[in-house]
Amino acid sequence: MEPNRAILLVGLGGAGCSIVARLAPSLPAEVKVALIDTDAAALVQANGRETIQLGRAQTRGMGTGGEVSVGTASAESEEPQLRRLFTGYALVVLVTGLGGGTGSGAAAFLATVATDAGATVLAYATIPFSHEGERRKRQASEALDKLGAKAHGLVTVQNDLLLLQVSKEAPLSESFAAADEWVGGALRALAGTFVPGALVPADPAAVRSILSTPGSPTLFTYGRGEGPGAALAAARAANECPLAHAPGATTKAASLFVAVTGGPTLSATEAFEAVAAVRMRFGGETTTLLCARVVADFGDRVEVAVLGASTPALKSLKKGKGTKPGEENQQIFGFATEDSIRRGLFGGTPLTFIDGQDVDVPTYIRRAVRLPVGP
Amino acid sequence: MTKSKSLPSLIAVIDIGTHKTVGLVGQVIDGKARMLSFSERRTEGVVKGTVVDLEKLHNCVHEAVNDLERVAQRGIEEVYLTIAGPSVTGERVKGFVAVPAHDGKVTIKDFKEAMQSAKRLEPPEGRATILYMRQPTMLDGKGVENPVGLQGKRLEVNFWRVTMEEGNVRFRVKMINAMSIHVRDFILASHAAACALISEAEKLGGVLVIDFGAGTTDWILYFKGHILCAGSIPVGGEHLTNDLSVALRISRDTAEDLKVRFASAVHRENDANQTIWKDGDKGVGDQQFNRGTITQVTALRFQETLEFVRKDVLHQLEQIFPGHVMKLDQNFLPSGAILTGGTANLADAAEAGTTILGLPTRVGIPQFEKEAYRKPEYAGVIGMMKAAIEDAPPPVRRPQGVLAWLKDMFRF
Repeated sequence: MEPNRAILLVGLGGAGCSIVARLAPSLPAEVKVALIDTDAAALVQANGRETIQLGRAQTRGMGTGGEVSVGTASAESEEPQLRRLFTGYALVVLVTGLGGGTGSGAAAFLATVATDAGATVLAYATIPFSHEGERRKRQASEALDKLGAKAHGLVTVQNDLLLLQVSKEAPLSESFAAADEWVGGALRALAGTFVPGALVPADPAAVRSILSTPGSPTLFTYGRGEGPGAALAAARAANECPLAHAPGATTKAASLFVAVTGGPTLSATEAFEAVAAVRMRFGGETTTLLCARVVADFGDRVEVAVLGASTPALKSLKKGKGTKPGEENQQIFGFATEDSIRRGLFGGTPLTFIDGQDVDVPTYIRRAVRLPVGP
Repeated sequence: MTKSKSLPSLIAVIDIGTHKTVGLVGQVIDGKARMLSFSERRTEGVVKGTVVDLEKLHNCVHEAVNDLERVAQRGIEEVYLTIAGPSVTGERVKGFVAVPAHDGKVTIKDFKEAMQSAKRLEPPEGRATILYMRQPTMLDGKGVENPVGLQGKRLEVNFWRVTMEEGNVRFRVKMINAMSIHVRDFILASHAAACALISEAEKLGGVLVIDFGAGTTDWILYFKGHILCAGSIPVGGEHLTNDLSVALRISRDTAEDLKVRFASAVHRENDANQTIWKDGDKGVGDQQFNRGTITQVTALRFQETLEFVRKDVLHQLEQIFPGHVMKLDQNFLPSGAILTGGTANLADAAEAGTTILGLPTRVGIPQFEKEAYRKPEYAGVIGMMKAAIEDAPPPVRRPQGVLAWLKDMFRF
């Protein structure tokens, strides 16, 4: 049977639907998109994409009015339809804005249904602006707890953060555009890795294994770079991505999945550098999976997306001790060994690269030179 | 020679390296330099040429200054500091002037204007200009030594501009100022070392000086008497020590000791037949190692670093002479290459240099009155003293000359 590589991007509730609708045109064709809401008006943006209207009976297409219980009930009543939607996907990315009725009420339920259908669920939730009042805030935090327990991965973005990212005079659309760029870029990069034809393809199961345990905090970041040194610039941008610096965001992860997408000029050493730079910032001691993909129309642009979780996911992959120099598992790209083993006294100092090599690692290890043995 | 009536001022130079901080205080009496005090201390708080612990470094430099003042029995008022390492970068800046047509001769005013236009270019954000070094001046595309009075249309003035991260500069100045000492100037470490090692004739011919220090390897290339370009590789002697400690699973200090005693820049077949003892007393805790392992590890690293230098030199040359295929050989640099810095003490360093660089290489040992200091690791501080003596008043500063660029330095 052909391995299941499909990705479904689901927008839930008013905010989720509008984010997904904005993102949809820029996504690769392999990513299927669906909009789910109680408000029939919101589903109009679907532009012919798949939609599910929740709670026709409860709300008669008018939205939940911010009632969480209505949202939950609406979703539960459509369970068969939702199950049908989620079946057959390897990864379901659930985008929702918490605080309202539909998002807060239905998100956890949707995550449960998708998980039962065999998909890995990565949830992306926005937290209301602080001036939206106590009630929405409370609803959001309750929903977040529930969703976190059900979804494999959960990324949260404080809407307040969006305000900090753009200038004071910037129009509202601009601050949302910035947030879309992070999420959209990261999704594009992630989605691309499942598409056949990647240079170093990723196994959906590997991504799943990184996110294997529901409830673990998820690291999710994205960066892009252009021109000479684009890969490193992208990695730096990913390191500095506001998604990874939001209050409460995870800053260290034991397992990392790094997706590097670049134009035809992207070299393996550049990809290496990017991965190493990301690892410096976020960890990835247990596992670092690399997926590199070349897209013809990227030019000299490089995008780096990082997904990480702290729960030990894969069985500890070969560590330096057992492997001979130069024989590291290709998929782990040689960086899974511990810093201190290979870099010695320089372990923990900033990496220095020359020609794509970490020069703090002894030359004999990098060149796999067999040393004369024994006294 | 002008005889100064008042007490001649002290000239103090401090070279803060990754491994050690070396200071030297001298005095010019009757046109002859005298060394008054010398200080050498283990540097703390610097890794790979980058300051990682400000407080430790501060204490270390403070102690060095105290040493110098105690032995010299006089207070130091101003110092020259070296700069080196990854935060220092250089680039070529150009200035043009169209020579007015009435007689077509370049005037001093034109020349100055061209220089100013070169220096008007702002350094990149967050970087401070440390110094400008004169590079060949071109008149209508031809290199000229002094264009004033010559016939031409287009005058082009080139400088090698050295910039450093602003915070790094400020920190150094503050650190010295905190001791009520003024920073007189910064000198590029590799240039300082070169001052101690090469003659004007060698500079005129063309020579590559490689300062293989503990944390970084800095190089500088002289061509037709000018500094053509300079660079830094963030690999140094500490890396050799580190590689040994990783390969032999020994502590840093043991590795350092073995490196000094047994390492080599060239690995030979029969090294593997030699067994060496760690302590030599063959007592409890003594370990034996295969000498081949040591030479193999250090030779690989040493040669690789020179390879990086070679690539960096070629890369920069290609930017200066676009379209030319550059080759490092004796035709281009008749005086070859000079290896200096602490790691140049490694056995067979010159041999490895000759092989890797493709240039006749020698180890540069500074000529100094006291024999104890005739070692490659002191080239930096001795050369800096030499440069400082030429720079310092009195006697009256020379308006033109090799060190004319010192005048144009960034003042604090």
